Amino acid sequence: MQIAVSGGKGGTGKSTIAINLAIALREHYDLVLADLDVEAPNDHLLLGVELANEEPVELFMPRFDYQKCTRCRKCAEVCEEHAIITMRDGTPFLMPNLCSGCAACEIVCPVPGAILPGKKLMGHTYLTETPYGFPLVTGRLLEGEERAMPIVSRAKKRAQGLEKELLMVDTAAGTSNTVSKALEDSRLIIAVTEPTPLGIHDGELILRLAKLMEVPAMVVVNRSDLGDVAKVREIAEKYGAEVIAEIPYSENIIRSYVEGKPIVLTDYPEAGLFREIASRVVEFLGGGE
Amino acid sequence: MQLVIASGKGGVGKSTVTASLLYLLKDEYRFVAVDADADAPNLDLLLGVERWEEERELVGAKVARINTESCIRCGICQERCPYDCIKVIDGDYVVSELTCEGCNVCGLVCPVPGTISLDEVRSGVVRKTTTRYGFPLISAQLDVGRPNSGKLVTEEKEWAKKLMGELGLKHMVVDSAAGIGCQVIASIGGADLTILVAEPTPASLSDVQRAYKVVQHFRQPAYLIINKADFNPGFTALREWAEAEGIPILGEIPYDRAIPRSMSMLKPFVEAFPDSKAADAMREIAERIREEILK
Ligand code: SF4
Ligand code: SF4
Ligand code: SF4
Ligand code: SF4
Repeated sequence: MQIAVSGGKGGTGKSTIAINLAIALREHYDLVLADLDVEAPNDHLLLGVELANEEPVELFMPRFDYQKCTRCRKCAEVCEEHAIITMRDGTPFLMPNLCSGCAACEIVCPVPGAILPGKKLMGHTYLTETPYGFPLVTGRLLEGEERAMPIVSRAKKRAQGLEKELLMVDTAAGTSNTVSKALEDSRLIIAVTEPTPLGIHDGELILRLAKLMEVPAMVVVNRSDLGDVAKVREIAEKYGAEVIAEIPYSENIIRSYVEGKPIVLTDYPEAGLFREIASRVVEFLGGGE
Repeated sequence: MQLVIASGKGGVGKSTVTASLLYLLKDEYRFVAVDADADAPNLDLLLGVERWEEERELVGAKVARINTESCIRCGICQERCPYDCIKVIDGDYVVSELTCEGCNVCGLVCPVPGTISLDEVRSGVVRKTTTRYGFPLISAQLDVGRPNSGKLVTEEKEWAKKLMGELGLKHMVVDSAAGIGCQVIASIGGADLTILVAEPTPASLSDVQRAYKVVQHFRQPAYLIINKADFNPGFTALREWAEAEGIPILGEIPYDRAIPRSMSMLKPFVEAFPDSKAADAMREIAERIREEILK
């Protein structure tokens, strides 16, 4: 069973909510948290752990054996990314930055061995134990690489492989197809938003994506005193989602963030808000063990 | 000159800083602004844009489709899809349109010719307007579930270059997306320099370090603006990192409620609250940018 925490806009406090919710849900489920915001993974920082058990994510990258290559240009024609350019005589060259590693070129090349399976490192996945009784799987794209999709997909697989009762994914901001990849197979999406015009705009996009993917959504309004929560409710209603929590701007949350102590484990009144969100989730999923 | 504003992490105030900077530079310089965060564009909102003068649809994203009539359900496509985008639903092989990268590997391996087609779909829109401050803005909006394409950003920058020629503009200011993926690479590639915006938290530091690696990859100079500078007084690692890397710090903006309030008013904070502490800091930063960068 999988649920996702997502949010249209960056910086809405999505990761803070994800880790606190994971800690609260730990009492109900045997779970794993997967940080699939692979361009800027931060859950480990909020949980105060160092990434461990690194595994490389390598992609196929064609290498040409020019002794064998007949310069037929088929590889260049088939490459949807236009990553292969050919010289006037048909000699293929790879522009590694454009290559997505799909291996279509290798599939069409008529000469066995003209394209050799080279490899390129795209990033890493990590499996880190946390002091909170659940493991964290993290995907991390290498700087300078453009393609987040393979990392998202590999990190998700690694987390799924742990076969926990609950897989909780924390997605990137936005609504691109890497976010859809992270959301895929979720029973529920917790959409984190802010009641500002920007937050509402981006929050609506994530609700639209949830609808397209046919996943039910619940909305958590963060920094709820910074704007007009009624507007968020309006949008949520339009997409058949319910606003389940309003978290006001809080010095306590900032303090706990800065001190690296998850707010849900403190005696601050805000801790109750997160436990409340957790119980709504448990209720929705039909209870723990 | 083409300058880029980037941050790695979203939500550190990159776009609010950009909007205020554009506001402060608008009378003296002739530039076009580009919002390169096609996934979640918001510069138009911060600049109070109400309508677009011109919109262009961008097709070019591709998705595979399986014809269930001729499909013999051999499963080869599913096995070979590099991104796990093919599912079996009620016995039929179906491409998940919201995750497909359009590489056509499935089409190449499918043993039944014509069963898998690769269709062009709309990936989003690129649009242009003239802001109420007089300078043009190019922005884009990716459609929900499309590949997070750097191509959209490249398209935006090309349009911006054309405008520079037509209108005799001297500069392009690009507000890059969060993260370090293809949109950011398309933003930073070809630029002259990058201004990084970060806040003093471990998460923001980690992300800005990653964005800086992308800048280094393109061998560009970088500058740093520290936002919410007093938010976490014990945290000195951001400053120390910038100093160790030799990245000049253009200035520090204190945490100021004027900023979120100005966002709700859909105005740059230097315009909405010119007497705020944040606006003072921003004016100093603009001054340094005039002296050291735009000379
Ligand atoms: S692996 Fe795919 S993207 Fe890379 S060169 Fe071959 S066809 Fe092009
Ligand atoms: S398809 Fe194979 S033989 Fe033809 S140009 Fe490419 S590498 Fe050479
Ligand atoms: S086009 Fe590529 S990504 Fe899309 S379903 Fe086919 S193999 Fe998978
Ligand atoms: S490879 Fe072709 S025939 Fe086989 S399951 Fe896929 S679409 Fe059907």
